Amino acid sequence: MTTTAPAPGASHGAATHTPRLTFGGILRSEFIKLFTVRSTFWCIVIIIVLSVGFGLLAATVQAPARAGAPVAPALTVAQQQAQAVSYATIGSEIGELVLAVLGALVITGEYGTGMIRSTLAAVPKRTPALIGKAIVLAVTSFIVGLVSLFGTAAAIFPLLPGTKNIHPDWTDWHVVESLLGGAVYLALIALIAFSVGAIVHNSAGGIAAALGLVLVLPGLVALFGALTGLDWIKNIGVVLPSAVGGNLSDYGGRTTQVVSGLLTLDRLDSGLVLLGWFVVLFIVAAVLLKRRDA
Amino acid sequence: MIEAIGLTKRYGQKTAVDGISFTVKPGLVTGFLGPNGAGKSTTMRLIVGLDRPTAGTVTVAGRHYADLKAPLREVGVLLDAKAVHTGRSARNHLLAMAATHGIPRKRVDEVIDLTGLHSVASKRVGGFSLGMGQRLGIASALLGDPGILILDEPVNGLDPEGVIWVRELARHLAGEGRTVFLSSHLMSEMAQTADQIIVLGRGRIIADAPVGEILAQVAGKAVRVRTPDVAKLTKAITGPDVTVTASTEPELVTVSGIQAARIGELAAGSGVVLHELTPITGSLEEAYLALTEDEVEYHAGSFENEVAS
Repeated sequence: MTTTAPAPGASHGAATHTPRLTFGGILRSEFIKLFTVRSTFWCIVIIIVLSVGFGLLAATVQAPARAGAPVAPALTVAQQQAQAVSYATIGSEIGELVLAVLGALVITGEYGTGMIRSTLAAVPKRTPALIGKAIVLAVTSFIVGLVSLFGTAAAIFPLLPGTKNIHPDWTDWHVVESLLGGAVYLALIALIAFSVGAIVHNSAGGIAAALGLVLVLPGLVALFGALTGLDWIKNIGVVLPSAVGGNLSDYGGRTTQVVSGLLTLDRLDSGLVLLGWFVVLFIVAAVLLKRRDA
Repeated sequence: MIEAIGLTKRYGQKTAVDGISFTVKPGLVTGFLGPNGAGKSTTMRLIVGLDRPTAGTVTVAGRHYADLKAPLREVGVLLDAKAVHTGRSARNHLLAMAATHGIPRKRVDEVIDLTGLHSVASKRVGGFSLGMGQRLGIASALLGDPGILILDEPVNGLDPEGVIWVRELARHLAGEGRTVFLSSHLMSEMAQTADQIIVLGRGRIIADAPVGEILAQVAGKAVRVRTPDVAKLTKAITGPDVTVTASTEPELVTVSGIQAARIGELAAGSGVVLHELTPITGSLEEAYLALTEDEVEYHAGSFENEVAS
């Protein structure tokens, strides 16, 4: 390594454009940060490969025909669309876990390495840095979601008439809406994991907490709901992130209603509930970030 | 200019910084000395708002750090070598930092060249040695070409060449009229680098004075005398406060409690031949140890009192 003579003042006092802290600059900085670590690249590759791979698998694998089994009745057009959408979104159910990990890592990686101190020294008001990170993560996750879901659909829809006798219809708005909903879900799950990571600080803890919320909690709530038979516990299960996330990408037909004590949510309300999860967790994260020592 | 008034930071029961007030002036290198755990790093973190003071205030360029319009332009800070994501390359780290303030890419290349990181700029920081990490931290601090530099242990982990480089850099930056505030536990390093020294012990300021003044506190207290007739000299200069300490060499003694000039006069009066008469200039280490020793004794005493009462 060579040592050069000190000459730091090359641009000192130069009467050119004066650099200053701007929100646009923070967004650029967070974009650079997200795309200059390998974990981002790997997470995106894994999500797309999982989505397309599982989609192709689901679309092409035939259940072995059993002798004497009754011939399945022909599906209605709507059932065919619902089936096509479920094949296109099956892989993102695993992809969501990868995005949750990425979302948590975006912030916990900074705490783990000490980078957060550099970040907060550059953005001492702190909240703009957290918002900037969230925006860059959301946009990236949404685009990754769009690419993987529409890419999977584009890859498997031409195969379905031959393999499953299903005829997907791109002109059916609900098909497009379901795929868009899936991308929104992926963005929001990344944001929820990000907020949990910002609260917890620690990578292992953040990932565990985020995955617990997505994977473990629904099972526990379902178990308690079944054991107690209480409607309100079952309804908690309905508003958990993974449950409302499923509604977002389902072909659909749900309406928001309470039937004999049990809640169902339509696509829009499911999205709003998921947004609510994010907003509450993000506000907690922002308040803690502002208060705690870094 | 950095100004702290009654700055205090407590973590639970432990008081890391205990009501300190000081001013770090532009155009000077101000050294921040103290043993481990004295509160140096905490003070620096308080200055840039990473930690919140329990009491008191600290301002940079007359404002709280968080209120600065362009923090990186005003204050460059090296907190520790571990304030960088290990998975990112040095150049990308600097580009990300620069982006927040719209600092041009050209300046990123400048600080990379300046800190000698050119050959490793595209390598991941995780593989960096401590010394390279320090250079990257210094590069980050210089990125905004700031008027105030806060460097926590900048020579930590650097090779001798790097130590000299940091020393010259600090002097150069102060020479340009910037405020340079650097901490170190290498006191000899401070003697060669700093103009002003703030000594911290157990969260309190023990001394805040120009380097010369701190050195003078222990300078002239002892005199090295070389003479073929030690016995006769000892007899000549004997007095109530005077002590003569033998050394490993038979002809060399260290005399304290009396000025060098007075020893010369008394020796001449008694006809003692002197081969050497040298006032011992205290090193900063000695001054520092003498200063912190008092601080430690004070605390030990008060602790005993608490136990006794």
